[in-house]
Amino acid sequence: MADRVIWVHDYAMRSTSPAFARAPQSPAIFVFDEEWIASEGLSLKRLVFLYECALEMPVSIRKGAVVETVLAFAREHGASEVVTTACVSPRIREQVQRLRGSIRVEVVEDEPFVGFDGRGPDLRRFSRYWSKAERRVFEGADRGRGELLTAGTRGGAGR
Amino acid sequence: MSRQAQDNEGSGADLRRDFARREDLVAYLRAVFPGATGVTDERVSETRGGRPEGLARLCAMRPREYGRTRNFFDGAVTGLSAYLRHGCVTLAEARDAALAIVDRDEDAHKLVQELAWRDYYQRVYDAVGEGVWRDREEWKTGRPASSYAREAPPDVLAGETGLACMDSFVRGLVENGEMHNHARMWFASYLIHWRGVHWAAGAAFFLEHLLDADPASNNLSWQWVASAFSHKPYFFNRENLERYTGGAHCAGCARAADCPFDASYEALERRLFPATIEGRERRG
Repeated sequence: MADRVIWVHDYAMRSTSPAFARAPQSPAIFVFDEEWIASEGLSLKRLVFLYECALEMPVSIRKGAVVETVLAFAREHGASEVVTTACVSPRIREQVQRLRGSIRVEVVEDEPFVGFDGRGPDLRRFSRYWSKAERRVFEGADRGRGELLTAGTRGGAGR
Repeated sequence: MSRQAQDNEGSGADLRRDFARREDLVAYLRAVFPGATGVTDERVSETRGGRPEGLARLCAMRPREYGRTRNFFDGAVTGLSAYLRHGCVTLAEARDAALAIVDRDEDAHKLVQELAWRDYYQRVYDAVGEGVWRDREEWKTGRPASSYAREAPPDVLAGETGLACMDSFVRGLVENGEMHNHARMWFASYLIHWRGVHWAAGAAFFLEHLLDADPASNNLSWQWVASAFSHKPYFFNRENLERYTGGAHCAGCARAADCPFDASYEALERRLFPATIEGRERRG
């Protein structure tokens, strides 16, 4: 039994995602969304890629209707809450809303690439966005983490 | 369908996680998803999913070379897009890694800016949602959007146009789920501006196959080429394509003698967008 389960969607397929950090040790699930697969006509190679992403995470892998399958998974574990990572996809957002009709859902924000105080950037053109974002993107870098991620590769070709 | 796959049909049953070989996984997925496109194809993309592979690509980035060569077919591209799309690695991690690899920040500037394009498109997606399927702006091609065909012609989708470049791009897309970014622009431009097909038909074709397919980056880039999300339509000529591909396609192309791209930009603009030229000339 568990208080919470983690729902991993196809925009946060890593075991270091905020949802896993928020509910460590909780049972987790990834669902192959059969409606999406049919409507977008997803090819086998995309499914293989998704499956390999899922295999790298501590998750139960299932297929079917996403909302119903996640709810059934929560019931199996006696959980009263679903934790997931925020995402801008309207498909995922709609599923979150439908889940909320039946169970408590906590949506944890993913790490931002760049943050803005107050009003966000003008999105009419990339150039407008970039003029406001550029300095912040570099200032916001976590250089210590960069060193860790690339440990052992420094001094290689093409620096 | 295998017995194993049938056993997993019911609700509450986990799909398998134990595969000794990749071929076993692929065979299993053929049985579990018999309706998927390409399920009868002999092979799938060699590109493996998962965070470990994404991290390996982070470490293999060559940011300085990327900045100089990314538009070339043999350029130092990162192959990260499918991993970013699925959140195997984050944009912030990719930036942090790129800055750690170079000695000076400016050597990673172009790569970081390309990462920012993805962030930008995600922000637009956040704001407009399914609106990424609708024209963001009026087209600037001199033709009404409604005059473009809603379906791509079969010869283009089958990679049988006779144009070695375009057919090769489609084969790579369908077989490997990948297409170089520059080839995406050329192909989109060919489909929209030479063949008169609406960007949404091309966008749907890409979503079916690209391993990095995301409606935001994908559709908005198609709109950029079409001129529905930019100031003017994007087009190219043979000289440009030959330069960045090292002439790999043109050498053996059956249509090299009647190449539709073999002209100056001025001549192509007159051919492809006559109404905008006339409008400009009338206004003096």
